[in-house]
Amino acid sequence: MEKQTIDSMVGVLDARMNRQLKQYMDICARCAICKDACHQFVATQDMKYLPARRAELLRQIYRKYFTKAGQFLPALYEAREPDENLIDELYESTYACTGCRRCTYYCPFSIDTGWITAISKGVLIAAGRGNEMLGQLADAALFKADNMEMFGDIILSGFKDVEAELREETGLDIEIPVDKQGADILYVALAGSHSIKPAAIIFDAAGANWTLSKFEAANYGFFFGDPAKAKLIADRFMHEAESLGVKEVVITECGHAYRVAEMFYEAWAKEKMPFKVRHILEVIDEYIKDGRITVDPKAITERVTYHDPCQIGRNGGIYEQPRDIVSAIAPDFVDMTPNRETQWCCGGGGGIVAMEEFNDVRLKSGGKKVEQIRATGATVLACPCENCRLQIDELNKIHDLGLRIVPVMELVAEAMTPKGPDPAAR
Amino acid sequence: MDWFSYLTSGIGVYVALVVFTGGMAWRAWQWSRTPKSPVRLALYPKPKTGAGRLGKLLVDTFAAPQSFSIAPAIMVAAMLFHLAALAAFVGHLRLVHEFTPLVALLGKDGMNTFAAWSGGGAGIIMLIAVLYWLGRRTFGAYKNLSTPEDYLLLVLLLGIVVMGDHLRFVGGLHAETYQAWFASLLAFRPAFPAELADTTTRFALDWHMLFVDAFLIYFPFSKLTHAIGAFATNLVRSGE
Repeated sequence: MEKQTIDSMVGVLDARMNRQLKQYMDICARCAICKDACHQFVATQDMKYLPARRAELLRQIYRKYFTKAGQFLPALYEAREPDENLIDELYESTYACTGCRRCTYYCPFSIDTGWITAISKGVLIAAGRGNEMLGQLADAALFKADNMEMFGDIILSGFKDVEAELREETGLDIEIPVDKQGADILYVALAGSHSIKPAAIIFDAAGANWTLSKFEAANYGFFFGDPAKAKLIADRFMHEAESLGVKEVVITECGHAYRVAEMFYEAWAKEKMPFKVRHILEVIDEYIKDGRITVDPKAITERVTYHDPCQIGRNGGIYEQPRDIVSAIAPDFVDMTPNRETQWCCGGGGGIVAMEEFNDVRLKSGGKKVEQIRATGATVLACPCENCRLQIDELNKIHDLGLRIVPVMELVAEAMTPKGPDPAAR
Repeated sequence: MDWFSYLTSGIGVYVALVVFTGGMAWRAWQWSRTPKSPVRLALYPKPKTGAGRLGKLLVDTFAAPQSFSIAPAIMVAAMLFHLAALAAFVGHLRLVHEFTPLVALLGKDGMNTFAAWSGGGAGIIMLIAVLYWLGRRTFGAYKNLSTPEDYLLLVLLLGIVVMGDHLRFVGGLHAETYQAWFASLLAFRPAFPAELADTTTRFALDWHMLFVDAFLIYFPFSKLTHAIGAFATNLVRSGE
């Protein structure tokens, strides 16, 4: 491997070094308690998917370039200069990681392998081995956002089409406001109408003063492992929120987008934003509890279960609001076991659904989720994350689970009485 | 003292203590001067108050309930080892100062019997735990995860425990003899008392101390810095 490439990789590691990473690198006992926590290792028993091994690969570089002990006795610490073999293994173990952090939950030292793999992705990008698909998707999002004069009219015309769809489906004239100065809420959706329509119905019924972002919540820069790109992608709707003077940014049912906006953005931007960030399900739960929208408590007659997406659950703290919402509209709600912070990752996070080369491990690693869903006997799965839905939809077909997989807000829109604005609630 | 005894049970003890103390301080200083992660790395649910965070930190660090729930066998071994090591450490404090209230309560012979049982028990538990780990690393599925560092530490621990158990079960000497040697160390004039110098037990003590010295010298440069680092990393999981 060329010296310049190695220097570049070490430079990235140096730039992203912080106290937590240093401690994770120094103290791991390689006890492998994480082996039973990782859905990928449990499914494959392949050492490269063992969380401690994922971290160990980066640790070998760390030991070589950041510790005197590793430089003095490289054989003892397995400190090594990166070569093609190391990079190959690092690539496979790192980009396969869904960042669910279940291993962190069970680690006696709380070593954050998800965070370590985020740094490893940076090192891989410096080596020219960032995942191409994720890189292209991140660049495409940036290109689109940078060329709004080219795409702006198409986006606005798409929103008009959504209004027409809503009119056709509900018989109501629901406006989708865009660029609304003084709105209370900037709602950031995903590409496609599925994340806009139920939210529009709910906001409209609740009489919310909202506006829809022209930009998407999804952040492939985050999955790619480039915080600079991830920030640039999030910048678009964060700056939009600032310029519109909203009180809060509400992120749609997308796990990583919520975590990026709520947990990471202010640290990346090095500034405190003048609005709060909330998940759409926090808002809907509030609307139901405050009586701003009315739902039929028996609307969903089938047995419903709920999947905790790792990025809003274990990594975001949103556990009860979705359950309260589903319980309010589905009398036969059954939780999976385990759930909340011990919930199994479905296997579709971290951008892995976009990387075909990992299909085999991705689908195998969904085995635990399949077992969990089967055990509930549910026929409806409420799932507030796009990547989880894509993954579980595939598992549903392969394992013939007979599930209807829906966003939570779509179930709420189904259960609302009446569908349109409730004058009493206004 | 002959040169080997002087190296292991004399000057080596000072060197080990200086390197261990300085090394751990240096490691803590290194960590403290590295900037904290700018992003929030907490896991949820997390405590809402500072007292709650402290409580969770202590529970996570000393009891690790999550780890127990997923890997009970290794956690039982780890917990027993750490408790036995703590008991052994406390027992060794007799070398600095006799536990006078306990001696008053149990009598001299009673105290020695108590020390024999508790120290012997701790020694056996540590031996079993180290052998279990060594076996797990050598024959288990995770040998590919293990590095030479892991084996070095286990070999050093095995040496300490085996020779310590030898002193406890075969040596036939009680604390007073070792207290005299330790007093000479504290006076910076290391020497063995005659009842130790003239026995084969001295040989076992020298090897015990060789492993102890090496272990302490290596400690700050090893993964064993989790002894202090785990507090910091476990605090992050319930962070702001």
